Amino acid sequence: MGRSHEKLLNNLEELRKSAGLTQQELSESAEVSRKSINAIENGIYVPSTVLALKISRTLDCKVEDIFKLP
Amino acid sequence: MTYFKRFLVIFISGTVQVFFAAYLMLELLGFSFGWHLSNHNIMFVPGVLVFLGAAYLTLSYYFLDTNKINNALYDEFTALRAYKLGSIGYGLNGMGIFILFSIQDWSNWSFQMANSMIYQIAAFAWLVFGVLLVSFSIGDYQESKSG
Repeated sequence: MGRSHEKLLNNLEELRKSAGLTQQELSESAEVSRKSINAIENGIYVPSTVLALKISRTLDCKVEDIFKLP
Repeated sequence: MTYFKRFLVIFISGTVQVFFAAYLMLELLGFSFGWHLSNHNIMFVPGVLVFLGAAYLTLSYYFLDTNKINNALYDEFTALRAYKLGSIGYGLNGMGIFILFSIQDWSNWSFQMANSMIYQIAAFAWLVFGVLLVSFSIGDYQESKSG
């Protein structure tokens, strides 16, 4: 788990890198700004359900693989 | 539309509003600058800028830009930033109104003073709105720089 929000742990950076994607590429695929992806990875922002599902679809994994409750 | 263009539109609207609102606020509170606006029609400038800026942003969203650009410029993280700034503005307005109420001379209250206080509240709210616009635009500038 990377740097995480106090209410939501995330593994996004590792999964994104292992998928060979940059923040920009992931953001375009998930239809958000690169800043949103950066904020999620750094635990600044908790994404909406829709965005979490779009990210998991892009990374071809389950939402639970990316986000976990502390 | 790019982050930098949006920064320019909002920053210019915001700084012009801050200038005019601060001028009006200080005048209403009785501060003297030694100079005055010679043509009061110029007070329409900030309103016109906000109107034109909003029109340009709306047109570019619906007619000029691609979905890819709109997704980046108007995503949920940007919305959260706007909500947070709105909350700060709401709080600042509350504190400002409290202070403006506190500094009134209630012992000699008149309709003229009530009218003046309403102007002061309006000028303060206008000032806060300008500051919020500038704050929001700075986020866009930082994003434009980080590419």
